[in-house]
Amino acid sequence: MVRIYVIDNGGQWTHREWRTLRDLDVDTRIVPNTTAFKELQKENIDGLVLSGGAPRIALEGSLGNCGEYLEKARFPILGICAGHQFMARFYGGKAKPSKIPEFGKIELTLLKKNDPLFEGVSKKSIVWESHNDEVTVLPKGFERLAESENCKIQAMRHKKKIMYGLQFHPEVEHTDYGEQIFKNFVKLCEK
Amino acid sequence: MFDAERFIEKTVAKLKEDVTKKALIAFSGGVDSTVSAVLVNRAIGNQLIAVNVDTGYMRKNEPENVKKMMKELGLNFRFVDANKEFYHALKGVEDPEKKRKIIGEKFIRIFERVAEEEQIEYLVQGTIAPDWIESGGGLRDTIKSHHNVGGLPKTMKLKLVEPLKDLYKDEVRKVARILHLKVSERQPFPGPGLAIRIIGEATPERTELVREACDIVEKEIEHAVEKGLMEKPWQYFAVLIPIKTVGVHGDKRAYGNTIAIRAVQSVDAMTCHYSTIPHEVLDTISTKITNTLKEKVNRIVYDVTNKPPGTVEWE
Repeated sequence: MVRIYVIDNGGQWTHREWRTLRDLDVDTRIVPNTTAFKELQKENIDGLVLSGGAPRIALEGSLGNCGEYLEKARFPILGICAGHQFMARFYGGKAKPSKIPEFGKIELTLLKKNDPLFEGVSKKSIVWESHNDEVTVLPKGFERLAESENCKIQAMRHKKKIMYGLQFHPEVEHTDYGEQIFKNFVKLCEK
Repeated sequence: MFDAERFIEKTVAKLKEDVTKKALIAFSGGVDSTVSAVLVNRAIGNQLIAVNVDTGYMRKNEPENVKKMMKELGLNFRFVDANKEFYHALKGVEDPEKKRKIIGEKFIRIFERVAEEEQIEYLVQGTIAPDWIESGGGLRDTIKSHHNVGGLPKTMKLKLVEPLKDLYKDEVRKVARILHLKVSERQPFPGPGLAIRIIGEATPERTELVREACDIVEKEIEHAVEKGLMEKPWQYFAVLIPIKTVGVHGDKRAYGNTIAIRAVQSVDAMTCHYSTIPHEVLDTISTKITNTLKEKVNRIVYDVTNKPPGTVEWE
């Protein structure tokens, strides 16, 4: 059984991330973002999801120990919303309050074919959003994978490591290919 | 995947261990509290007392229906008529968070009274995942204080038992179906009841208006679903907006309140899409509400907000 933990940054949908993983038969738990990396290592996890959180939470400071996880992890990491924004900042990109925040239903456009996280996802699909902030400058070593009308960096990935950031929320029921994206992430963690 | 049968087995076994003395369940007659009551009842039998409180903010005929249900389920029960107490406590209160907190505290004080009389030590609640997630605490922002979590007073004598805490509504419904409970498909109704479907002060007079309007919305939508005109919404109701607009009633100027029709589709209440109610159904609802509530209500609006940015209820 693959083991993927959800780091809780205080998001309204942290529990949904846990539930989606559990429904895919993943061995999963929600752990606070103050957990030391050593503790996670002891649990032999295969992957990590960094949850979202309240507005502005990822724009300054260290978002608990998320920086330590990004620095030391040898397993795949999926950052969602605040987790994604923090990931961008950590690698030298920028995250700022959105000019046009997005809430609810939005059309997502994929920019790259054949990325393993988006396998089986249509070029255009409906995703659900809930963000006040966004990544405005892509960090070095990352590439952009998806955009929406008002947010250019809806998805990004590290070019070498299996590290993804998503601005939209694949964990909620109303996102068209949400479960598919999680399935793909689980596959990446199994390898 | 969530295994409801295993959940029932494990939970009943755990409740047998954890609940060693008399317990009381806050029983509303909704899916969550009914499932909780049946599980605890399986574990400790008539050591469990179901308490239903008529807050005055219940839907039409609800107190009678809930009493009937508690009898049918073979529960040891108490019914508390606290209409006046609640109306009094909410007098002059307009802020939605204050309303929720006052109601949450009132509930607990009533339960404590019963507990003292019956020498009860445990309070069982049908809390489910979205209740404590939205109530905030720690890192999480408070979206709204669910009366059974964020609305709880700081000092409480009873020990809390929440067997459904990690489940979502669709999972609770699965458990309810296995337990053959009639309420398994019932639409959610918030604990604070109609008090949070009245924007502004929840006076007894305003409550009557929204009670009638909710009843019309429920009946007409259920009727439309039966006829195959629309999909059954997750939740459907009316909200009273005490903003007056001008109308005309038989050559006479009218100046009455506004009612909003709200219906949403969801699986777990964490995200919702507004329901597409056919225009003919909206039309019937609109005419019925205004004809029934006459000079009190002369305008009907239809809420087309998803969650996010909105929430299901308006407060």
